[in-house]
Amino acid sequence: MAEPAYTVVSDSETTGEDKPLSAFPEIAIGIDIGTSQCSVAVWNGSQVELLKNTRNQKRMRSYVTFKDEIPSGGVTDRLANEQEIFSGSAIFNMKRLIGRVDTDPVVHACKTLPFLVQPLDIGVRPLIASLVNNVWRATTPEEVLAVFLVELRAMAEIQLKRTIRNVVLTVPVSFSRFQLTRIERACAMAGLHVLRLMPEPTAVALLYAQQQQQTVHENMGSGSEKIALIFNMGAGYCDVAITATAGGVSQIKALSGSAIGGEDILQNLMHHLLPNLDSLFSNHGMNEIKSMGLLRIATQDAIHKLSAQTSVSIDFDLGNGSKICRTLDRTEFEELNRKVFEKCEGLILQCLHDAKVDVEDVNDVVLVGGCSNIPKVRNLVMGMCKREDSYLEMNPLEAAVCGAALEGAVASGISDPLGSLDLLTIQATPLSLGIRADGNSFVPIIPRNATMPARKDLCFTTAHDNQREALIVVYEGEGKKVEENHLLGYFKITGIPPALKGTPEISVCMDIDASNVLRVLAGVTFPGTQHPVTPFMEVRMPTVDDGHGWCAEALLKMYGSILDISTLQKKLQL
Amino acid sequence: MVAASSPRFLVPKIAVVNTPSPAPAFLRFRKFRFAAAYTSTERPRSPYVLSAPASLYEVLEIPMGATCHEIKIAYRRLARVCHPDVAAIDRKEKSADEFMTIHAAYSTLSDPEKRADYDRKLFRRQRPFSSSSATSAYTTAASSPIPRFSGHTRRNWETDQCW
Repeated sequence: MAEPAYTVVSDSETTGEDKPLSAFPEIAIGIDIGTSQCSVAVWNGSQVELLKNTRNQKRMRSYVTFKDEIPSGGVTDRLANEQEIFSGSAIFNMKRLIGRVDTDPVVHACKTLPFLVQPLDIGVRPLIASLVNNVWRATTPEEVLAVFLVELRAMAEIQLKRTIRNVVLTVPVSFSRFQLTRIERACAMAGLHVLRLMPEPTAVALLYAQQQQQTVHENMGSGSEKIALIFNMGAGYCDVAITATAGGVSQIKALSGSAIGGEDILQNLMHHLLPNLDSLFSNHGMNEIKSMGLLRIATQDAIHKLSAQTSVSIDFDLGNGSKICRTLDRTEFEELNRKVFEKCEGLILQCLHDAKVDVEDVNDVVLVGGCSNIPKVRNLVMGMCKREDSYLEMNPLEAAVCGAALEGAVASGISDPLGSLDLLTIQATPLSLGIRADGNSFVPIIPRNATMPARKDLCFTTAHDNQREALIVVYEGEGKKVEENHLLGYFKITGIPPALKGTPEISVCMDIDASNVLRVLAGVTFPGTQHPVTPFMEVRMPTVDDGHGWCAEALLKMYGSILDISTLQKKLQL
Repeated sequence: MVAASSPRFLVPKIAVVNTPSPAPAFLRFRKFRFAAAYTSTERPRSPYVLSAPASLYEVLEIPMGATCHEIKIAYRRLARVCHPDVAAIDRKEKSADEFMTIHAAYSTLSDPEKRADYDRKLFRRQRPFSSSSATSAYTTAASSPIPRFSGHTRRNWETDQCW
């Protein structure tokens, strides 16, 4: 009898739905998708190694250009010149656009990009299009990101000589859960399975924890705790984290972040150099796109130069007959971007406050991201932390991807004989999670910076007499009013027994597991008995789709306030 | 500082729920089984009795007089064992509950004010059923009939409704 040519894998292994993630023996790779640059790293058995593309680049520009039928991204694409990215055919800055609706100010700030961003201001996803053979061809940020990820994956597969499926990606702190689903979707389109989405500064924190572990060689758990403030500012986002590290355990004390970065600085300066920029560029004509590309390149160049010198002379032709010729000094540049820097200060203050840490107790200040090169940013962070020197043991542009690669190895269940992977990140929730109650108020159930996994519950009650149904609308964010926050989903609880308002107890529980999956559990119990009246509901969030800007309004229009709920003041003293 | 020997704490079998701090409030939603050190000495559990360690100090496996430093060390040591990221594959689901219990204990005991508050309550609780009987009735009633999370461990984009 001949040997079977192949072996059939048993059903339980192929379907593997309930199999834990670490059943995959392969090491997940770490990917840092930046607004402007992107990199890939992997644990090679003894250390983290950054992968290079065929042009020997460790950091690749994040863009995808649609020249003909086949799009090509910054991993493999060979640019004729810098201007090509700004010719309208390339989509970049997708990280600023992904998962945002067209009422978002960040989307509106993208209107001056060379490709087409068309917000209609109605709460749906904006139209995004690239110029292909003189036609604006619509695409989506997810699609663009997926094209890019496919290239990254191919690059990694060739170098590592194996199939890549599992990845750890870094994401900005301020990303809503809806945005995270968009990132996951892009990964799924590229055939990648997301093992973790790590807030960028927590990836840096993990690298920091590993470095501390290696330098101290202390016993597990003993040794002194070190507190680090991590400030990460790139082209699109600024994030701050405070971590307490000892024995390879990185405990995230607090996170804060905002969609503010080098792109805002660039826009401010462009508007300063060309005050009528918005109106000049509103119709996206061929010549305007060209001028805009030139302006972008010149402005970028000026900002880079201002990091090293105190003044820069700007002299270039817009191509349409007008010239810009002037000098810009650092003071003027800093004044122009005062609001950006103030925002950074605010994020640091908030993070210190939330972590309940005094600046005097911070052992190390870690400055990473492209904008950490800007003298004003450095001075601001160091000044606020009251010290002279920042932590110098890591490359500011590679720290996040290295941390992601470490997490990839740890989460894949890889252990290192030398103990370099005896690491653990205790994550915290970046944004508060709660529901709509007491009219239009946002009532947090899991506060921000709660340690994950987390589970919290809160009791609510009916707002009207004999109310039989109640609407649970779940939001994420920090605003006091629901409309300032991100809508994640909604569902209805039915079968509330008729009673005076304020009598039935509606229990709402939120659960975030270790893989950051959010579930909302709700049901009605009668006071005294604690027995559920009807079966509880368990809903995984987010459930909203791309039109989620409309949902809240539609709910209000349909139901008004008849399904409202109120917070229940529990008598705590027994 | 209240100094008492730990075996005394084993007497009441109910976890404190009426603390004003929000931390232990989630106890209502699950029966939890406790960590590594306790699994070997499994006690029989009836659905109406929480088989919790008697005090937060026991959760962290430290004496009542432990310093802040010792509390942190104990927390990290337990996190290295119980956190879902490092727990053995067959224990993933339980480990989330265990870790939340450990973290709740840590967050109460590492905050001097909350700890003092907790110590006072613990001291009161040792005098049998003076003020805690009402609490225990409430807790036991609340603990079990509410459905427990089934807790799928992985996100599955194929079935994700959110596209």
